[in-house]
Amino acid sequence: MSRDPSPSPRGARTHRPTGGVRWRAWARHHRTMAVDSGRRLLRRPLGSLMTMLAIAIALVLPAGLWLTLDSARLLDAELEESATLTAYLEIGIAEGEAGRIEEALAAQAGVAGTRLITAAEGMAEFQQALGLRDALMRLEGNPLPASVVVRPGDPDPEAVRGLAEALEGVPGVDEVRLDLAWLERLRHLAELGQRVTLALGVLFGLGVLLVVGNTIRLAVENRRQEIEVVTLIGATHAFVRRPFLYSGAWFGLGGGLLAWGLLTLGSDWLSAPVSALAASYGASFHLPRLGPEGSTILLGCSTLLGWLGAWIAVNRHLAEIRPR
Amino acid sequence: MIAFEHVGKRYGGRFEALANIDFRVRRGEMVFLTGHSGAGKSSLLRLIMRLERPSRGKVRVAGHDIDRLHHSQIPFYRRQIGVVFQDHQLLFDRSIFHNVALPLEIQGVEHREAARRVRASLDKVGLLHREGALPIELSGGEQQRVGIARAVVNKPALLLADEPTGNLDPQLSADIMTLFEDFNRIGTTVMVASHDLALIARLRHRTLRLHDGRLVADEEVA
Repeated sequence: MSRDPSPSPRGARTHRPTGGVRWRAWARHHRTMAVDSGRRLLRRPLGSLMTMLAIAIALVLPAGLWLTLDSARLLDAELEESATLTAYLEIGIAEGEAGRIEEALAAQAGVAGTRLITAAEGMAEFQQALGLRDALMRLEGNPLPASVVVRPGDPDPEAVRGLAEALEGVPGVDEVRLDLAWLERLRHLAELGQRVTLALGVLFGLGVLLVVGNTIRLAVENRRQEIEVVTLIGATHAFVRRPFLYSGAWFGLGGGLLAWGLLTLGSDWLSAPVSALAASYGASFHLPRLGPEGSTILLGCSTLLGWLGAWIAVNRHLAEIRPR
Repeated sequence: MIAFEHVGKRYGGRFEALANIDFRVRRGEMVFLTGHSGAGKSSLLRLIMRLERPSRGKVRVAGHDIDRLHHSQIPFYRRQIGVVFQDHQLLFDRSIFHNVALPLEIQGVEHREAARRVRASLDKVGLLHREGALPIELSGGEQQRVGIARAVVNKPALLLADEPTGNLDPQLSADIMTLFEDFNRIGTTVMVASHDLALIARLRHRTLRLHDGRLVADEEVA
């Protein structure tokens, strides 16, 4: 204890514990305070629950958005894989010729797969999709070209655009169409969503800090006399802070658990209509759930926020509390 | 043990609580500090406890200029001083035992050792049989004795008391003073602030008298 400034023979003998003893005492105090502050929370169950609920509500919105975005990213990846190019062949090309052109396209670099749609097949699909069988029947001959659907090896929009240019140079190909605009729109939307989530996360995180800070401020005020007394008889700031930091961490953890429960309930409640909605668009989309990793992140963040809120509150108010 | 060197203390730039205080207390002495209320007794004790810093002059305790202590060192400095307050400053939400154990808890003394010292200390003030009680269940005199037990539980070299008998009847006051004398006899330096002049006169110890923030008498008893 090199910091001990004024050794009197008597005083020095009575309290100069060795490093190991001090460390054990420190660990023991941590344990005691963790349990003690937990008990204090349980002694006022309703008040504690309200605080935790406030924290939980502040956490649910950003966490829910984050989850949704996370699954949207999965969906995005799926859609990217399904992004294809369509190469329309010149009109009037015979079927055998069309097959040769398909082979030529398949041999190009960056092409993962091809599928030939002959003029007749195209017409059949067209009729089926539009229900214009009678009107189309009246046409003389088939006005549709044969086409080749090309699956690119690299789904990145830039690469796909480059590939489209290369394919247009293949003899017999009239035009290559790619519809990437919606894919890019989706991507921009996802990015917007991410930023909104981040901003909301920061705002609501601040909200958690304030909720915990306010609760801890009241706790500090309630235990003012105790703080004054222990300061008078030689408690360090760390010693005084410790029970409040643990309270803050417990509040955070409790709020995190409640938020987890709310998210699980909410995702159960919404999952049926969301799946039905997705199915009506021919997509399969399931509301995501917090996996073990997500749960750990949520609980870790909430506990940390509670601890931090307590730390700020205690430090501010300890400076005000001077023993009289 | 304690040395005041031309110490002055002003509050708010105007009110002069202490002026040019100069005295020394030797190790193992017992000293009374007396004077009317507002004479500066509490201010003087607060300077020794390093709750406040002098506006001028130096306060030395155990050879150290305590004004120069870094604020992180102050808790460790205070652990060497036992303090008894007029209003006991007990914590009412915990038992007598845990009140007395508080200084040891702060210092991280191991449980069994702490329990041993707490019981020794309670035994000394005659309250061992009440260790499980809450402070509220005790009389004023008993509460003050718990305060004393807490002040001496880690065997401080210096024991300060601020009006320890302020609210007690004469017999209880005399008992409390006898306790201080006992601690002094085993080597503890004791400084008691009190305005109970009759009691002080009977006990025959060195007396420092303050008047309007000035040291007006320093009476050694032969």
